[in-house]
Amino acid sequence: MTGNAPFLVVGIIFFLGMYAILFERNLIKIAIGITLLEASANLLLIVLGYRTGGSIPVYTLAGGTRTMVLPTPQALTLTAIVIGLATSALLLSLIILLYRHYGTLDVREIRRLRG
Amino acid sequence: MNWQIHLPALALAVPLLGAFVSPVAGLGGRLTRNAWMVLVSMATTAICILLWQRVVAGGTVVYVMGAEAWNITLPSGLSWPIRIILEVDAFSAFMVVVGSIAALAGAFFSLRFMDKFTGLEKFSALFFLLVTGMLGMQLTGDLFNFFVFLEIASVASFGLIAFWRDRPEAVEASFKYMVVSTISAMFVLIAVGFFYGRYNAVNIAAVARMLHMGYAEKIALVFIVVSLAMKCGAVPMHMWTPDAYAEAPAGVTCLLVAVSQASLYGLFRVCFSLYGASLGSTVVPWTIIVMGVLSMFIGVTMAVIQKEMKRLMAYHSVSQIGYILMALGVGLLSLKDPQAMADYGFTAMKGGIFHIINYTMYKGLLFLTAGAVFYSAGTRNLNELGGLARVMPLTTFMFAIAAAAIAGLPPFNGFVSKLLIYQSTFAVYPLLAVAALVTSVLTLASFVKVFQTAFLGPAKKTFEKVTEVPASMLLGMSVLTIVIVALTLFPGWTLSHLVEPAAKALVDQAGYISAVMGGGL
Amino acid sequence: MWGKVYSGFGYWDVYFWLLFFVIAAGMILFIRALGRSDYKEGTEQDEIFYGSNEVPEDGADMGVPAASAYWGFVEALRPYYDWLVELHTGIASDYVGYFVLTVAAVAVLVLL
Repeated sequence: MTGNAPFLVVGIIFFLGMYAILFERNLIKIAIGITLLEASANLLLIVLGYRTGGSIPVYTLAGGTRTMVLPTPQALTLTAIVIGLATSALLLSLIILLYRHYGTLDVREIRRLRG
Repeated sequence: MNWQIHLPALALAVPLLGAFVSPVAGLGGRLTRNAWMVLVSMATTAICILLWQRVVAGGTVVYVMGAEAWNITLPSGLSWPIRIILEVDAFSAFMVVVGSIAALAGAFFSLRFMDKFTGLEKFSALFFLLVTGMLGMQLTGDLFNFFVFLEIASVASFGLIAFWRDRPEAVEASFKYMVVSTISAMFVLIAVGFFYGRYNAVNIAAVARMLHMGYAEKIALVFIVVSLAMKCGAVPMHMWTPDAYAEAPAGVTCLLVAVSQASLYGLFRVCFSLYGASLGSTVVPWTIIVMGVLSMFIGVTMAVIQKEMKRLMAYHSVSQIGYILMALGVGLLSLKDPQAMADYGFTAMKGGIFHIINYTMYKGLLFLTAGAVFYSAGTRNLNELGGLARVMPLTTFMFAIAAAAIAGLPPFNGFVSKLLIYQSTFAVYPLLAVAALVTSVLTLASFVKVFQTAFLGPAKKTFEKVTEVPASMLLGMSVLTIVIVALTLFPGWTLSHLVEPAAKALVDQAGYISAVMGGGL
Repeated sequence: MWGKVYSGFGYWDVYFWLLFFVIAAGMILFIRALGRSDYKEGTEQDEIFYGSNEVPEDGADMGVPAASAYWGFVEALRPYYDWLVELHTGIASDYVGYFVLTVAAVAVLVLL
């Protein structure tokens, strides 16, 4: 049962992020929601690669234990974190530009393009 | 040592090099930068065409990054498919050729179109990053790398859409696209995580070999299908499309059209090659068909009432994507039934894949002509435009060809692919063909409106000084025009040499798996 | 054949169509050549008929603007268009909402 607790955390973070994106008005809070989603996806990958009692997946440093956590998800997560960093930085800079142009951070007022 | 075995890697390496050398080339002034841009785009196109030739002649090409074999074998005999591979079958090669031609035209067009702006070395860097992302999505044989290239393409396109950052609308369009697109990319990543959790592999062929439907696979399928349908602009997730396509610089919009085809490629690669016959129920094919019909109809009806040239065309992209989704959805529906596949399914797939190349070419050309009008006349508002045929005859001519092709007027290429789609979807459910026909009529109606208000009519005082666009922009447009005319004149050749191998490769799941995995795991 | 496409229900041959266009163009030119020969250039016959009004100097004063095109079509479908335009709110979080709702709806359909 406790083995599944990390997946529960993934779900909670995911829904918090989703809630922030869907129902918050402030652009910064929406950006936070998106980073929360990224965090939950990264956490999911890490949790998937975890083996109970496993050590680091480096053969020479693993010590006497026979179980190691899977290395692939960690590589995947590192890549995903870097991508997440790039999108967050670009998102925040777009928000700065939007604030300069529109003078507001309310997502409901930034709607010049519609219909 | 035959250098041609490295073609799949070169197709990614050349535009990537192009991207990172662009700022350096920018130091040498405008001419150096432009020469570099032309050189890299032409090299990329040449590599893609060579790659396609190689695939058609010698079957699926598998390229393993930095190793000989696709798997790693431990001393204990355990072997895992963990290498990064590129897998190029006829469908990927077809998509790569289509995408690189659109990129070439966009690059030619952008040389002069972007003249009035600064930061052009960043523009060409982002442009080539977008090309890399697009080609990577189409070449990779690995689900996680698909996500990585998807994100490379997305981030580059956010930057390019907001390139005119002094225009509030451009920043707004980029922001909206970014929010929706990043969230959908996270859904794709979670789906990839599901596959990894179930099968300890992210290699498409390896996963496809072991796949059996459970709850995790079903949810992953839904995540991937809906996310990628969003990325290519299917109703009801199409709202970012008109914003982004209309606000991006025209050369970029031409490329964005091709990039949306890469998402479409991913969607069908997952449906056909990853799931294939184990798709089970008919829910997913019907979802794709219904999305396609909705996209066709809602996209075109929204286009009829638009007053801005590029926005109108962007709504047409939504409706044209609908044709492709519907045709390939019908193919997916008949995948398990050989009789249905022979009767109408394969024709539908041929029509859909033929429509991919047609759509990319004429839609790219339409966006380029809209860009040319904007460059010369300084406005995109159809209420203000008028009488441009008198001063821009060549642009008008190419616009007329593209508009006739998109509206499916015989004898243009758009008609051929639409004919195949009508006649095959009719066998599944007559209403599908009726919806497609109505859409085609409305498409014609809205392009008649554009043609009449922007190009025909009496000469207006405000546009007296308007002249034809510079030669390099005309060159970019004529690349696409030549392809359209060639597709029109040789539909039989195109179908048997370009389209049919692609359709066969898409249907042949076992072939896709065995090309990588060989005899056994 | 390079120009022939079989669709399973019939076929399409582009060269027949090109031939048709050539013949049609020939017939049109022939009919046009049969037209009136007493037409005189540079006289009143040459002028634009603008409802017996003065022809405006600037073309902008006479063309039909794009906003008026298909007015009847749009007017007849007014309820549909009102609903459709209302959907395109322009608010980013609404767009995310449509995406999430679609994921949820398709997931329910697939899982059931």
